[in-house]
Amino acid sequence: MSTARYNRQIILKGFGEEAQQKLLRSKVLVIGAGGLGCPALQYLAAAGIGHVGIVDDDTISLSNLHRQILFTTADIGKLKVEIAAKRLQEMNPQIGIVRHPIRLQKNNILDILSRYDYILDGTDNFESRYLINDACALLNKPLIFAAVSGFEGQLALFNVPDQFTPGTNYRDIFPIPPHRDEVPNCAENGVIGVLPGILGTMAAAETIKLIAKIGLPLTNKILSYNLLTQEQYTVSITHGDGYTLPKTVDEFLNMDYQDTSEGPQGYTEIDVAELVKLQQLESTILIDVRERHEVPVLDKQIFIQVPMSEFGTFLGKEFYQKQVVLICQHGVRSVAAAEAMQERYGDTKKIYSLKGGIIKWRDHFLKS
Amino acid sequence: MEIEIISFGQITEFINNQKIEVDGIADTNAFKQYLENRFPALKDIKYKLALNKNIVQQNTEITNRATIAIMPPFSGG
Repeated sequence: MSTARYNRQIILKGFGEEAQQKLLRSKVLVIGAGGLGCPALQYLAAAGIGHVGIVDDDTISLSNLHRQILFTTADIGKLKVEIAAKRLQEMNPQIGIVRHPIRLQKNNILDILSRYDYILDGTDNFESRYLINDACALLNKPLIFAAVSGFEGQLALFNVPDQFTPGTNYRDIFPIPPHRDEVPNCAENGVIGVLPGILGTMAAAETIKLIAKIGLPLTNKILSYNLLTQEQYTVSITHGDGYTLPKTVDEFLNMDYQDTSEGPQGYTEIDVAELVKLQQLESTILIDVRERHEVPVLDKQIFIQVPMSEFGTFLGKEFYQKQVVLICQHGVRSVAAAEAMQERYGDTKKIYSLKGGIIKWRDHFLKS
Repeated sequence: MEIEIISFGQITEFINNQKIEVDGIADTNAFKQYLENRFPALKDIKYKLALNKNIVQQNTEITNRATIAIMPPFSGG
């Protein structure tokens, strides 16, 4: 196969034909075709990674487009993996692209990860990040980790040994996942499009360096990046001991990754059709847990406002309704509220959280 | 003793980058105690300290002019 396409990097001193061949022979899985995944995928595919896998079970929505730059307005509603794979294949028909339109869970992740040499984590939640970390550690797969929050990002390489330290993993920095309402995510907190663009591109660069064996990859280091100051701060990671990592497949399958789709929980996530049904029951209370400044504003006669910042006070009160439906903008805070209610009221009330929140069911809320 | 504090992410909302002059803080455990007393919001979140650009895994002695970074986990993408 001709490598003329890669001429400009092949002629680069310190790269060359040999490095290019390494890229062409490698298999990289990008998990999450979002703000981080899109730019990472573009550069990995363009650079000639021979075999690129994409995992994402989500569809494209309007609010994705300011940062998920593989997608256009006409793509709204379509599967991210389909559109991403199509665009990348048009850009580079010489490479293989595999679509995985699924959500990774304990029961499928090991099988998929084992088909690849390098894993790039561009997901947007802690459940996935700990699941991916532990699976990569178990399989001893190099993991390129990128994440953003506000105007800052973090970048790291895990399970890659250097001459002094065997490969470290995410739990060496953060042994235990934070609680759901402890750290705001992009959907709740907002993100400027260019930031995951930078971090996703840096993650692609680290992947390429690692595969081509050039430069000094961020092995056993975590880099913090600040967009507002353009400052970087790099910290060395050593092994910690305050955590358990599954050592066997059985141990892995017994871990709790708070998969809402698995295991018992004290509340139920519902869609808008179920919300409407519950709404018709007399003993149902609908609670909007968003802060008072958030829009769209809902009918306060129907949706009682109890912002998360005031939720603790509300929990002390008694009320007669038997069904409680909690809603928020994206269905993340409402889950935290549902967990808190479950702890307080136990089985005396049935607790529901609207999955995807007001944004997902925007049409319903704006017409009513 | 002078310690430089560098904070990241949501922690910057209540701890600015600053140099502090303190006595009686000999190690990272004592420093953690000091931080959580002075900034109680820290008690409710996960964070990791890095002393002079090395992740703190066990109690470590702090010397004059040390730099301590306070890092929260990020998950966004």
